[in-house]
Amino acid sequence: MSQMLSPDMTIAAEAVTKAKIEVKNLNFYYGQSKALKDITLSLPERSVTAFIGPSGCGKSTLLRVFNRIYELYPKQTAEGQVLLDGQNVLDRSQDLNLLRTKIGMVFQKPTPFPMSIYENIAFGVRLYEKISKAEMDGRVEQALKRAALWTEVKDKLNASGLSLSGGQQQRLCIARTVAVKPEVILLDEPASALDPLSTAKIEELIDELQADYTIVIVTHNMQQAARVSKQTAFMYLGELVEFDRTEKIFTSPREKRTQDYITGRFG
Amino acid sequence: MSAVQEALPAVRSSRDATVRRFALTDAIFHATTRAAAILVLVLLGGVAISLVAGSWQALSTFGFSFLTTESWNPVTEKFGALAPIYGTIITSAIAILIAVPLGIGIAIFLTELCPRPLRRPIGMAVELLAGIPSIIYGIWGLFVLAPFLQTTVQPFIISVFHGIPGLNGLFAGPPYGIGLLTSAMILAIMILPFITSITKDVFDTVPSVLKESAYGIGCTTWEVTRRVVIPYTRIGIMGGIMLALGRALGETMAVTFVIGNAHRISTSLFAPATTISATIANEFTEAVGDLYTSSLVALGLILFVITFLILAIARYMLMRIDARTGA
Repeated sequence: MSQMLSPDMTIAAEAVTKAKIEVKNLNFYYGQSKALKDITLSLPERSVTAFIGPSGCGKSTLLRVFNRIYELYPKQTAEGQVLLDGQNVLDRSQDLNLLRTKIGMVFQKPTPFPMSIYENIAFGVRLYEKISKAEMDGRVEQALKRAALWTEVKDKLNASGLSLSGGQQQRLCIARTVAVKPEVILLDEPASALDPLSTAKIEELIDELQADYTIVIVTHNMQQAARVSKQTAFMYLGELVEFDRTEKIFTSPREKRTQDYITGRFG
Repeated sequence: MSAVQEALPAVRSSRDATVRRFALTDAIFHATTRAAAILVLVLLGGVAISLVAGSWQALSTFGFSFLTTESWNPVTEKFGALAPIYGTIITSAIAILIAVPLGIGIAIFLTELCPRPLRRPIGMAVELLAGIPSIIYGIWGLFVLAPFLQTTVQPFIISVFHGIPGLNGLFAGPPYGIGLLTSAMILAIMILPFITSITKDVFDTVPSVLKESAYGIGCTTWEVTRRVVIPYTRIGIMGGIMLALGRALGETMAVTFVIGNAHRISTSLFAPATTISATIANEFTEAVGDLYTSSLVALGLILFVITFLILAIARYMLMRIDARTGA
């Protein structure tokens, strides 16, 4: 894939930041059918990378490989390497629970747990840390502030997470993910079920979070990819077609297919 | 164009006829389904009225003491319902205590942990338990389980708890084999399929993204089940438990075989006792006097009320839970 990156881009990227996740020759299968074909790319640390492409192109699948959530289902297999800080997460010896505390994930539909707003956040923290009530209160507040939700919920922390609006629920899910202090945050179409105002809030949030986290976002919305990301990967039919700086992809893509997709000629 | 205009009135009138026909069938459909729903209420009311009417003689003779008297003496025609009420509640409660953890455990295993090829066979085996007629549980309990408990388990438990205050009362007396605990164990086996299959079904309704997001913050299967799956499905689980409890309270045949049919309240779980339904089944053929028959009907009324109360309490609890979580 490196031949696709312009030489100056490669140098620039290396100078600014090191790679957080490196994917090497990744193939993915749903049973017999091959969903990802020989994917190789590297995601720089503390920056936002967007995966775009038509439905079924494998962008969500690629995301689901990073934290190995696909393993919950039988007959889904991955081959190749996904290096997180140089360590292969696809290795059998990788501890899954530990991996998933390092790589947080937010889904398309908000998924608050059936418990209070406070507990939604404290729950994940408590799994791996023994901290006092006062510290926990601080962590919850900090996470909710991070997700720009604190002012809206600070007076009803004991209300059910399900009582919030869709946009608030999604920000609660982001707060919950942030609270366990991951290194990478995976966002699988986080705003596709939300109204424009909530979407704008989520995008603002993503922009702020990239100072501390490596963020990968899958989106159908090309304007969103253009707005929030530094790098964009265009995928089509399980292949990585093009991966470059976002403004390059959207202004002068190298590949004809990328050009056709972003100008709306297919997909 | 003109042909179309000529055809229009004909189309209209045939359409009107169709609409009228639809309105008629709709009305019939509406009326039949409503009648079916009302029939349930009528039947329920009829049962309640005939129970009250049938038990009137006993209730007016003994008054409130019918509920608080232990003695049940057909010779002197002194009847009290306390012993069967006690037996019914204790056997059902122990059965629930045994069957709920077991049933939920099986459901968790089947939905979360079991290798796929084994899921259907195990699930079907559990559901087949529900298909075994209760008389078979009864004879199995009397001829197989009770002698086994009598010769091995009960003497062991009695000797273990001997001399421990409190527990020696619960597990005391000669090992009869039959009794409260044996009945409760049979009941537990009988209600297990209800709890398991309902719990399994509601576990399957948990959205997979919800489970994924719990796994996604690093939960183990136990934590996902305990903190996400069970809270998400608690209403369904409670429903299953209540259904099972209803079944346990009213179960007659199997219990009659192994309860011992003794109108006596004993603290020991190994002692013979009786339940409401077992008493009715055993004695209705020999109930000669009117007061005797009326007392048996009164027992039936009490069972009806207990079942109703338990369902009402369960509903109330669920409402409280919902109100608290604001869901």
